[in-house]
Amino acid sequence: MTGDIACHGCDLLVNVASLKDGESASCPRCGSFLTRARSDAFSRVLAYAFAGVILLILANSFSFLSFAASGLESVITLRQTPRAIWDYDMPAVAIMVAAFIIVIPAVILGMLLMLCIPLQQGRYRPWLVTTAKWIFLAQNWAMVEVFIIGVIVSLVKIAAMATIVLGISFWAYAGFTICFTLALANLDRYQCWERIEALESA
Amino acid sequence: MPELVSATVPATTAASRGLSACHVCCKLAPAEVHHCPRCGSAMHLRKNDSIQRTLALLVTACLLYIPANLFPIMITDQLGSSEGSTIMGGVILLIHHDALPVALVIFVFSVMVPSGKLMSMFYLVWTVKRHSPVSPRQRTIMYRVTEFVGKWSMVDVFVVAILVALVHLGGLLAIRPGFAALSFAGVVVVTMIAAESFDPRLIWDAMEKNGRKK
Ligand SMILES: [Zn+2]
Ligand SMILES: [Zn+2]
Repeated sequence: MTGDIACHGCDLLVNVASLKDGESASCPRCGSFLTRARSDAFSRVLAYAFAGVILLILANSFSFLSFAASGLESVITLRQTPRAIWDYDMPAVAIMVAAFIIVIPAVILGMLLMLCIPLQQGRYRPWLVTTAKWIFLAQNWAMVEVFIIGVIVSLVKIAAMATIVLGISFWAYAGFTICFTLALANLDRYQCWERIEALESA
Repeated sequence: MPELVSATVPATTAASRGLSACHVCCKLAPAEVHHCPRCGSAMHLRKNDSIQRTLALLVTACLLYIPANLFPIMITDQLGSSEGSTIMGGVILLIHHDALPVALVIFVFSVMVPSGKLMSMFYLVWTVKRHSPVSPRQRTIMYRVTEFVGKWSMVDVFVVAILVALVHLGGLLAIRPGFAALSFAGVVVVTMIAAESFDPRLIWDAMEKNGRKK
């Protein structure tokens, strides 16, 4: 049974014990991606996650966008984006926006560090199982890349009305989007859990 | 690609060996076990009541989809007059302003993706219920695509959030969120949960049952 994965697309049992470093496996029956073996995966995740933390802090420290017309100007920070909708009596939408673009990504980032630092050093920690579980449950609900597209679309929509300036926070958030996406892309579900189990039994 | 030995043997599934796979950590455990021995998540041979749950969520999403298209998603107040714009209205306005690429982006993410997603999920549920023999591989890919594009329809909700926060110049110009913003966000979230409740392995189970009957 060791080295077997049940394909999550069609339930076929596939043995991946013979995967060498750098190789990946897909299901021969339905084509779903199964796993990629990479010895430096956790270092990669950590590098992107650390860069992501710095960029997310920057993104929350400066102005995000500014909008000026007829001598009047309005400047927003990243956090004001959900707050304005809240003020218009749509708390549900405000909570969703805040959760999808800031809260969930930030929590995932923090958990990635808690998970991958011990995994990379090969040390067992009692919180490994819980953090890994929450990362894999929550990752579909982080929408940083969708938000960046939303920002670009909004800018084009109002570009004719006024002068728009992209703040430092915007560029930091764009960089954060790249780092966050790459960090999650390098975290392989199967390999991660195999490593946790190996550390647990050691 | 390494050689995958088990691929040559006809369809040895985890279920056929009496094993269920944890959807959180991929651990294989005997089907009688209810909690994953590795991560503690609830374990099932197949997702619980997958078809009924997916169908109920899809119907909810369809109901939310009606106000999402009828009501304005945002309202522009300019010099005392206010004007609402619906999702489709926004797309048409952008075409009039010669902003074709953005019109296309909004059209794809806010019209094609959500409606296409609802239709493909209904189709998948229907084929599974009927034990349809239509290419299971293609249907699995269809499911993967549906699952992947789900969150991209949030673009329009984010656009509203940004414009509402950014565009307010004294009494001159302001943008308010419309009721459709709430119902459309609901559509996106509910269809994402529907896609998560659907179990693509049922597509293949139906195939194996068909094969045995013949
Ligand atoms: Zn498969
Ligand atoms: Zn598990």
